[in-house]
Amino acid sequence: GRAKRARARHKPCTLRQLEVSVSELGLGYESDETVLFRYCSGTCDAAVRSYDLSLRSMRSSRRIRKEKVRARPCCRPLAYDDNVSFLDAYNRYYTVNELSAKECGCV
Amino acid sequence: CRAGPSSLPGQDPPGWRAPVDCVRANELCAAEPSCSSRYRTLRQCLAGRDRNTMLANKECQAALEVLQGSPLYDCRCKRAMKKELQCLQIYWSIHLGLTEGEEFYEASPYEPVTSRLSDIFRLASIFSGMDPTANSKSNHCLDAAKACNLNDNCKRLRSGYISTCSKEISAAEHCSRRKCHKALRQFFDRVPSEYTYRLLFCSCKDQACAERRRQTIVPSCSYEDKEKPNCLDLRSTCRTDHLCRSRLADFHSNCQASPQAQTGCPGDNYQACLGSYAGLIGFDVTPNYVDASTAGITVSPWCSCKGSGNLEEECEKFLRDFTENPCLRNAIQAFGNGTDVSPSV
Repeated sequence: GRAKRARARHKPCTLRQLEVSVSELGLGYESDETVLFRYCSGTCDAAVRSYDLSLRSMRSSRRIRKEKVRARPCCRPLAYDDNVSFLDAYNRYYTVNELSAKECGCV
Repeated sequence: CRAGPSSLPGQDPPGWRAPVDCVRANELCAAEPSCSSRYRTLRQCLAGRDRNTMLANKECQAALEVLQGSPLYDCRCKRAMKKELQCLQIYWSIHLGLTEGEEFYEASPYEPVTSRLSDIFRLASIFSGMDPTANSKSNHCLDAAKACNLNDNCKRLRSGYISTCSKEISAAEHCSRRKCHKALRQFFDRVPSEYTYRLLFCSCKDQACAERRRQTIVPSCSYEDKEKPNCLDLRSTCRTDHLCRSRLADFHSNCQASPQAQTGCPGDNYQACLGSYAGLIGFDVTPNYVDASTAGITVSPWCSCKGSGNLEEECEKFLRDFTENPCLRNAIQAFGNGTDVSPSV
């Protein structure tokens, strides 16, 4: 139920993967070829630093007002996978780099 | 049965000779003063001389005769082994002295293949969509690309050769053929055949599928050229290179049409024929599908028999081993259909 979904949303930051067609990537290529798309997902609660707490404090005391700041760590790729090549619907080959995550972390 | 008190690992009883690779045979020869001096003599004899000049020399002839009794004589090499080139150089250093050098078919320096297509099917059954009867609309070549993309090793080496072979160098040079061939050889040597054969020999019912199959090796860079050379010239070029020469000899041993065999293949072994066909990719004699037709499968190296002169017949014979070879055609079809014959032995 709801509790289970909430727990799933609060898993720590990890690498996950999906099998998707190249067309679904939204990069403008037309190809039915399937590739593995690895992405980073999860929360970074355990990675909160004094930096984040202090930044929040500065913001609530309005010492920082107009700037855009992010006072919580964020789950992002630390490294990207090797290039991936595919043949498109018009029999042309393409190679895409930094498409897929290889390692994730809270930064 | 070799069981006994003396058969410790690495200590075979006298008289029993294990099949040994040429790198190892060379080490054994080097440990024996008489063998190593004869082998040194023979190498000097062969360097830069043809067979006849060499055999005119008594010392060279004696060296060759003695070496025929050494482990160097019947040593073989393994495909994609460590030090493959070194192994083949040792093999040909002896065998070029033994053969006329101008034979139509040469013996393969590679160990015979004992595995069967059914072994690949068993491994491949873990893949989804391997069943060819599953869906009449399915594109097996697309399924093969998917299976490769979902395997990290296959994906990495496939992307490796595709990006190398489709990288434009300059307006004049469309791509680096040398680098493209090297990347293709790495793909076919290092990726298991359940992935590579599926890409190369997928069965097709429509033209889009057959075109994808034809495009597998990036033919615009690895295959096609401005001009089509004569096939016999292409063979001569190939024979000056130890690796190419070996792969071609291996193709001729394993895919030679054998009318007496049920399948048309030597020893009814489809796997051996497909393996040695794939072993030619990335060399001067790289073969490919000539068109995207779904009806009949025709493969050929990039060459023709124009300008053969009085060797027209020999040229046609060489070309027919690719274009009209029942063994090769049956092997490709058997792989596409997921069928194999049980060994006749």
